Amino acid sequence: MTRRQFAIPCTLLLLVVAPYVLPPFYVTLMLPALAYGIILLGFNLLFGYTGLLSFGHALFVGLGAYTVAVMSSRLGFKSLELSMLAAIVASIVVSIPVGLLCVRYVKIFFGMLTLAFGMLFHSFLFKFYNLTGGDSGIQVARPSLLGMGFPDLDKTAFLIGPFYFYCLALLLLLGYLMWRIVHSPFGTHLRAIRDNPRKAEYVGVRVHAFRLLAFVISAIYGAIGGTLLAIPVGLADPELAYWTHSGILVFMTVLGGFGNFFGPVLGAFVYIALQDQLMSLTQYWRFALGVILILIIILFPTGLMGLLERRRNRKAPVVDRGDA
Amino acid sequence: MAVFLDILLSGVFHAAVLFLVAGGLQLVFGVQRIINLACGAFYALGAYFGVSAVAFAMAHGAPAYALLPVLLCAGLSLAVIGPPIERLLRLIYDRDEGFQLLLTFALMLMSQDIFRFIWGSTPRTLGNLSLAYGQVTVGPTLIPTYKVMVIACSIAIALGLGWMLQKSRFGRIVRATAENRSMIEALGVNSGRVMVMVFTLGTVLGTVGGALVVPTAAASLDMIVELVVEAFAVVVIGGLGSMRGALVGALVVGIVRSLAVFYYAELEMLSIYLIVIAVLIFRPTGLFGKPLE
Amino acid sequence: MSVVIETRGVGKDYGEFRALHDVSLTFSEGEVVAIVGPNGAGKTTLVNVLTGLLKPTRGDVLFRGHSIGGIGPVRLAQMGMARAFQLVQVFPQLTVFDAIAAAVVSQQRRSLDFWRATRSIAAVRERVAEVAAIFGLESRLDWLASYLSQGEKKLLDIATAFALDPTVILLDEPTSGISSSDKRGMMDTLMEAARKAGIKTLLLVEHDMDLVAEYSTRIVAMTEGKVLADLPPGAFFADPHLAATIVGKPLGQLRA
Repeated sequence: MTRRQFAIPCTLLLLVVAPYVLPPFYVTLMLPALAYGIILLGFNLLFGYTGLLSFGHALFVGLGAYTVAVMSSRLGFKSLELSMLAAIVASIVVSIPVGLLCVRYVKIFFGMLTLAFGMLFHSFLFKFYNLTGGDSGIQVARPSLLGMGFPDLDKTAFLIGPFYFYCLALLLLLGYLMWRIVHSPFGTHLRAIRDNPRKAEYVGVRVHAFRLLAFVISAIYGAIGGTLLAIPVGLADPELAYWTHSGILVFMTVLGGFGNFFGPVLGAFVYIALQDQLMSLTQYWRFALGVILILIIILFPTGLMGLLERRRNRKAPVVDRGDA
Repeated sequence: MAVFLDILLSGVFHAAVLFLVAGGLQLVFGVQRIINLACGAFYALGAYFGVSAVAFAMAHGAPAYALLPVLLCAGLSLAVIGPPIERLLRLIYDRDEGFQLLLTFALMLMSQDIFRFIWGSTPRTLGNLSLAYGQVTVGPTLIPTYKVMVIACSIAIALGLGWMLQKSRFGRIVRATAENRSMIEALGVNSGRVMVMVFTLGTVLGTVGGALVVPTAAASLDMIVELVVEAFAVVVIGGLGSMRGALVGALVVGIVRSLAVFYYAELEMLSIYLIVIAVLIFRPTGLFGKPLE
Repeated sequence: MSVVIETRGVGKDYGEFRALHDVSLTFSEGEVVAIVGPNGAGKTTLVNVLTGLLKPTRGDVLFRGHSIGGIGPVRLAQMGMARAFQLVQVFPQLTVFDAIAAAVVSQQRRSLDFWRATRSIAAVRERVAEVAAIFGLESRLDWLASYLSQGEKKLLDIATAFALDPTVILLDEPTSGISSSDKRGMMDTLMEAARKAGIKTLLLVEHDMDLVAEYSTRIVAMTEGKVLADLPPGAFFADPHLAATIVGKPLGQLRA
């Protein structure tokens, strides 16, 4: 569709140009948005495409954050690539057993099990002070990107410069990868699982195995996003794994529109911008966010992308664009 | 022995309060099939309002031993918030449960700031008012009478609920609505009214729980998010939709926590989560739950 | 004619209740078998055993010589047997193309392809178009399944089973929910599709005895967990007592 073909390069251009045009504060604000964009790409594979709503996804975000923290400040590995690799490995190691247990269940039980695992991890991070730093967390030392340390740049310059483009590049790369995954035969099977798991079996879809795969892939994306999230802050703290953080992930996804590939990424950006604006307007920004969420649920369940993509007459058959 | 009794009674007290909140959750889930993530908010509201009510009463010369009745009244009077919230939830009854969870999540978010606005960010306590009831001897140990009274209240409420659900006409209607909503309407029952009443009852159970606990714990914003996980542990262990399950689950959670706090503080919540995970794996419908469709 | 499915002394108990008693049947290539009988006769249980959903309490069920007791739908599809149910099952948010493609992807063993776009794979596209054409759905390929008419949904449901390129297909009341005037049309489409798709054996659970008489080559009548009769239609309908037991009243004119 031509409107999308126009929108994507435009958005890309805006994102690339942002650090040169926007004041540093706003650029630093975009960093978590980029990180959440990556996290949500993975989350939506599980939710929007496979139909599994996890209320413990923040577990993997926290896992990624703590991995980069341990790697960079405790073990002295400055290379972000190495830390990210470690985070990926950690997420696979954790998501396989957790996934094996969780994907046998659906709907409420899946949500509750994932919530329990998420809180289990949080509890571990919070209580085992000697290992995890307790509620103070673990510091994240400034990493080197592709071997370059940028010693002449101060923290802010590093963040709004090389680090920003690193994150953007990662988002684009991982986004492209996810696009291919979602449109692939594997993606077709995931959507079949989402729509009718029983029939999917009769059509030869390996429901449990593929749910597990989707879970693991989403965990990997979550962990990568988690590492990126922790770096600007310089800290990995237990609240990253708290269940309300998982809830916020769902919020962002629904805000952007989970039925659409680009929805969640849009949701991440809009949420961050919204939260920032609301925070500057009132100390009761959580209330405002709650109201917005309610409005979305009741009035705009298809999210922002649902609004942007003007649907034709609902009764008419919709031409498939290749996404959900 | 005294130590063990202490731990046990402390656990039972905690269970008594948890039962109320979890019972509310079970009722709402059983009838409306909604999992209320805002249950912690109701609990916190009961606690905060209880503090205010008691402060008000004391300032107007109420004697110290009016504490329990005042708290009970405070909790019960919050029933007024039930109907409007139910109205809101009614809009999403038939939607995908992800949306339902999110709606109650939104309510939870809002409540954090609403309570902050009304009562501020620092936790509110009632100090030592509950000591006015003195202590009672249980075997080799002493336990505050207040805690015993709360346990008694909770048992009374449990019995009352049990009687209502099993023997009263309303209870039959509630159970029938839980089984088959459209059938109930075909039989001429106004299911909308039933929904409002059940939801309000569920809300009140939560607010009363919060009100009763506040002499022994501070009313704080943390309650809103922390209670949810515990209440869910109770519901999972006991089985979704079962009141008996809420009772047993509450006892399990209350006592295990009490034991864990005493022996290995780090394992406090961890042990609960492990039990939850174990239950979900080996017996997903919980101890008393009915299998979901 | 080679034997495709065989049950040897299959029995199925649910606690005290015996749903199937010592059922021994063989189904061969080229047959169109109608499984008939009143409700509660054990048809569904037999069918679930035949399709690997239930493990028999006694005896064994073999597909091309391999035991398939309790193997489950996915393995069943891989081995070459497909099944469509009485109640129409669709993927509401998938297009007709996607629904059939899901089956084709399974059959072509491509499900672990994470990289190529499903639509861009020529082998998938062509096969989907082929299957859709057999069932008259080629103009609906881009439609979301939830917008199809009931009859089209039924066709799609069966089309996805056919797309698995099975040797045997088991259809649970394929004409239920279809108006009487359209039933023959549906059966003709099915038969033609089976022929074009190279399906060797068709098993049908049917209540409509007229259709059974017209389309099947063999009738297996069940009652109370036992095989009451296993005859070609001619012999079956020639026995008034037999037909009456199954249908409940004497039958009128029937083509044998």
